[in-house]
Order: sequence, then C-alpha cells, then structure tokens
Amino acid sequence: MEFYWDTEQSAFRDEVKAFIATHLPEDWESLAHGPGSREQTDFSKTFCNQLAQAGLLVPHWPKAWGGREADPWTLFILAEEMWMAGEPRGGQYMNVNWIGPTLMRYGTEAQQQRYIPPMAQGTTLWCQGFSEPEAGSDLAALKTRAELGAGGYVINGQKIWTSYAGMADNCFLLARTGTGKSGISIFLVPMDTPGITVREIPSIIGEGDIHEVFFDDVAVGEDCLLGEPGQAWEIIRHVLSLERVGIPRFAMAARMLERTVKRLLDGGRLNAGAIEQAARAKAACESARWYSYSIVDQRRHGVTPGPEASLARFATVTAERLVAEFVVEHAGDALAGGDPLVLSHHQRAIVAGIASGAAEIQLNLIATELLKLPREPR
Amino acid sequence: MDFRLTDDQRQILDALDKLADTFDDIANDFHGFALVRPDLREALAEGGFFDIAGFEELGPLPASMAVERIAQLPCTAEVALSMLVSPLIADVGYDPIALVRPGQAGRFVDSAKWLLVVDATRYGLIEAAVADVTSVESIYAYPMGRAKDLAQVTWLEDSLTAPIDARLKLAIAAELVGLMAAAQAATIEHISVRKQFGRELGTFQALRHRMAECRVQIGGARWLMLKAAATGDPGDAALALFHAQDAGTRLCYEVHQMMGAMGMTLEMSLHLWTYRIKALLSDMGGRGVQAEAVLEQCFGGVNVV
Repeated sequence: MEFYWDTEQSAFRDEVKAFIATHLPEDWESLAHGPGSREQTDFSKTFCNQLAQAGLLVPHWPKAWGGREADPWTLFILAEEMWMAGEPRGGQYMNVNWIGPTLMRYGTEAQQQRYIPPMAQGTTLWCQGFSEPEAGSDLAALKTRAELGAGGYVINGQKIWTSYAGMADNCFLLARTGTGKSGISIFLVPMDTPGITVREIPSIIGEGDIHEVFFDDVAVGEDCLLGEPGQAWEIIRHVLSLERVGIPRFAMAARMLERTVKRLLDGGRLNAGAIEQAARAKAACESARWYSYSIVDQRRHGVTPGPEASLARFATVTAERLVAEFVVEHAGDALAGGDPLVLSHHQRAIVAGIASGAAEIQLNLIATELLKLPREPR
Repeated sequence: MDFRLTDDQRQILDALDKLADTFDDIANDFHGFALVRPDLREALAEGGFFDIAGFEELGPLPASMAVERIAQLPCTAEVALSMLVSPLIADVGYDPIALVRPGQAGRFVDSAKWLLVVDATRYGLIEAAVADVTSVESIYAYPMGRAKDLAQVTWLEDSLTAPIDARLKLAIAAELVGLMAAAQAATIEHISVRKQFGRELGTFQALRHRMAECRVQIGGARWLMLKAAATGDPGDAALALFHAQDAGTRLCYEVHQMMGAMGMTLEMSLHLWTYRIKALLSDMGGRGVQAEAVLEQCFGGVNVV
C-alpha cells in the first residue's frame, strides 16, 4: 500500500492547477451561480475549449478521439482540481466522463463522427433524459415510448428533473420500445427536433438547473438509436461502471469547509460545538476522498468496482451534507451574498443524495452486497 | 497511490490470520468483562509481530493493520501500544506498557511492566513495580488499574512528545477500527437469523440502513487510520482518532439496540468489543480534544476562545 502521488501524477496536478490559475477569470466565483445557467454554460464552452486546446479536457480518451490514453488517476486528479475550483466545466463533465466513452463503445461510425469531435473540443452540451414523473430511482418504470414506423421512430412522453436541458444541444434519451427492462432503448436526440418542449422548473438548487422535457410526436430517424433496440439496460450498466469512479464532490466540499473555517478563525472565534462540527465535516470529506481513491485504484488495476462504490457514494453524500450544515450554522451570511462559491456549493450539496439515484439505494446495496444482510421481502 | 498490499504486508496479515484463528474461541463458562489471554502476547512475540513497526522496510502501516486484526478477537491483551508506541521509546522492548493519566484508571495498568505517563505537555516513563499499582473493578472489557505513586517518573525528551502523541492516536484508532468491525459482524450475524413478525430482523429497512451507515463510518475510519499510519502526520492521526471515536459512539448504541436484550447478557460476546470501544472513547482526551487538534493541525488555526 502506498499513499503518495508519484512524480507524474504530481506534475499533472500542477499542470491542471496552473491552467486553472491562468484561465479562470477573476469574477469566476460570481459566475458560478448554477451550472445550467446561460452565463455559466457560455463560460463553460469557452473554458472547455481552452482545456481541449491544452490537452486537458479528455486526457483519458483514446488518442484517436483527442485523448492521451491517460489512466483513471489522471481523470480523477483533473476532476478533483476542477471541483475544488467550483467545476468550471459545468455540465460538460458528463460528456467527458461517460457520454463520449459510451458512444465510442456502442455508437455507429456516423454517430461517433457526428457527436464525439464537438465533445472533444468542449463546444457542446448534452442532457440525460432518464427520470420521469413516475420513474425516479425505479428507472425501469419509465413510460416514454418510441414507436417504429415507416420513416423512423416517433417519441412521445415526458422527462423530468433533466439538468441542463434548457441549454443542451442533444439528449441521451431513454425510451420504451417494448415491455420490461429489455424493452428500453437509447436515442441520441438533437434538442432542436420539432416536438420537444423544455420548461425550466424554478428551484432552490440554482438557475437553469432542472427542467421538464415534453416529447410530442417527436420524429427521429432510425440512425438516432444507440446500439440495438432494447439494449438500454446493458448500456446503462456500462455507463454506471464508468460513473462508479464517482464525481469528486468531496473536493469542493473540503475546500468550502477550509475556506469557511479560516474565515471564522480570522474573524475571531469558533465555539466548542463549531470545532467539533468542523472536525466531523473534515473527517467526512477525507473519508469520502479515500473511499473514492480506493475505487479509482481498483479501476487502475483493471478491477470493475463492486459494491464498495456505494460506500464512496454515501460517504460523499455525508461529506456534502455536513459541510453544508456547518456553513448554515456557523457562517450563514455566505448564503446571503457573503460568498457566492459557498452558496453554489450549498446548492449542489442539496442534490448530492438525490441525483443519480437516491442515497438510500446505496444503503440498500451496502446492506445486501457488502453486509450480506437478508433482503427485504418485495 | 497504490492500495494493493505488498508481498510483505500480505505475508504478515496471512500469518496473523493463522495466529488469530487459534485465539478466536470463547470458553462457554466465561461470563465476565475482561477476557484476557496473556498467551496472545507470547504468541505475537514468538511470531515477531512486535518488531513490525521498528523495521524500516515495514513500518507503522502493517503494524496498524496487525493491531486492527488482533482487536477483532474476543480476547484481549496489551498489544496496540507495544506494537506501535514502544518502538519509539528506548528500554521498554516488548514488555507490556500502559498509558496512565495521573489520578485516573487505565487499561492494562495493573498488568503492564511499564507505565507511559502523560501530563499536559509531555510523556514520562516509570516501571509499574515502583508505582504502587492496584487493580480496579470495571465494566470496561479490559483489565483496569490505577497507579498511586508516580513520583519517580522519568520525563522523556520534549522531541519525543509529538511522535509519541501521534503514535498513540494511531494505535487507539487502529484498535477502535478492529473493535467496531467485530462488534458489527456479531450484530449482523444476530439480525440475519433472529426473526420477529415472521421475518429476519435484518430484512427491515430501518435496521439495514443504520447498519449500512455504520459500515460507511467504520470503513472511513479505517482509511483515515491507514493514511495516518502511512504519513506519520500528527494532523492525520488526530483526524483518524476523532473519526474513530465519533463512529464508535454511534456504533455502540446501534449494535446494542439491534441486539436487544441478548446484547445485555454476559453470555453473548458483544460487550467484549463494545465495552472496549467505550473505554477508548475517552482516550487521549476524547473526540473534543481530537477536534481541537484537527483545527490546529488540519486547518492551521489556533482557536482564540
């Protein structure tokens, strides 16, 4: 067991830090008021394109698609530094982490040539059309249908909680082409296709973040289908395996905690309760960090992460919550104009245990897969 | 970063597993608190396990894993300090050593050869034989004792204070991690077979989720402990012990609650782990003191209150 970065990893982290120091504008923190907002999305397209020019947007991708075939540690170091800076890539982290790699594996050549280069250049934004009013954590209950006719598919249905939909160029859409889990297919749908209506849902988690998306007789060609009809569940499992490295939300949480504690110390005092809460939040952030690192290490050695990934996910949710609670209780002014980046973190922290599957799902997986407790009756 | 065990680390843990298997039983007629096996120390000494931390090529990381593994046994003996702290102190060798805070009872104080005395800013050493040591009754599942006369203590050099402090925190954190894992394993075994309302208790989500959250905390405490062992950093050690003591507080409540009345009996083994955990919750000042150290050493701030 080694707990140290090697020379190459340290050099890469320095490279990313230097890039951020050079390219993030002084007013960045005031821009960071919602990764789905117009202002931040426009900024992210410029920033991601600059990252791409420096070879830092998709370093883990194959050379043929603009990457340098870097290992999972490189991807994670990049993500850590981005999240510590407030994630200036905005919603494009999805392209980088899983949409691009999924298209590389399951897409036709035409789909790859159309969609992957703009992702590698950082000039496009996608949204994922997964959740529906009656299908949240129970994703297999989705009802949006795609009927195959003479000219292709006609899609009807509704998605909800769709992040970035208002600004997205394309949607990675799940729709039903048959019954049961094996009757779900994936479509790559340009968001300007006639029949798509997007309604922003005003929310406490940031401007332009969540939406309803309505599909009314949306006609798309058969070439929009990703993989085979009914292959969605297999592809989603692949997506989840890519996502199991996780998003290093703890990195931003740890930075916001450190920043808040230092501000409190500069201002005079922390009471005993605050000191203990700060230590608890710090321990939670570091636990999440090392759990997450252990998953990256598994991937680095060719091991597909198993239920241990749920430990990392839940630890991250805990870290987010404890830091957010610490700020509210001891530095509440930050949410009233005092610190826009801490506010942005707070808004992201609200969704940490909800987005990408409820935290309770992770607890169920831990109970069943790791603790080997008997299953609940269904 | 590379979290695979080295060949040396794997060999140590495999050998330790074999040794531990021979100490894993509990006599049917044992209904007490402190299940002490002095022969455990003898077996560890014979196997060379007390040398691990002192070997430069091995160090405190595998020694911490060894402490964690031994702590999972139902029986106990003074192991953690001998494995991790004694290598920093000249003259004590592998003899059993106990931490003493003047005026307070401490674990293994009545059976140790050496007493490591702590006051506000320094550590000292005294032979137990000259400290007028007595045993005390306790519900902690360690043998407990008091030292009445510490007048002849020899204070150690100031340069040793910080390293001993960090190693003590590491040793206690490693022991807590092993104890918590064992207490949880015993509880999982119980709720996996005990039925109420026609179902195993472990099928109820109210219990499953709490056990899962405890597992997250124990695993997190383990990662922080391993990192502290690898770096030797005092802030890492303080954070590791804080988290272990914090997790231990919750775990003791949860496992006794889920074990129900069975967990209150001395015929079950749960208390052997939980009442060791409780003894360690106040060690090194408890989590409040650890939190102050985290503020100073991890956040770089000294509070002005």
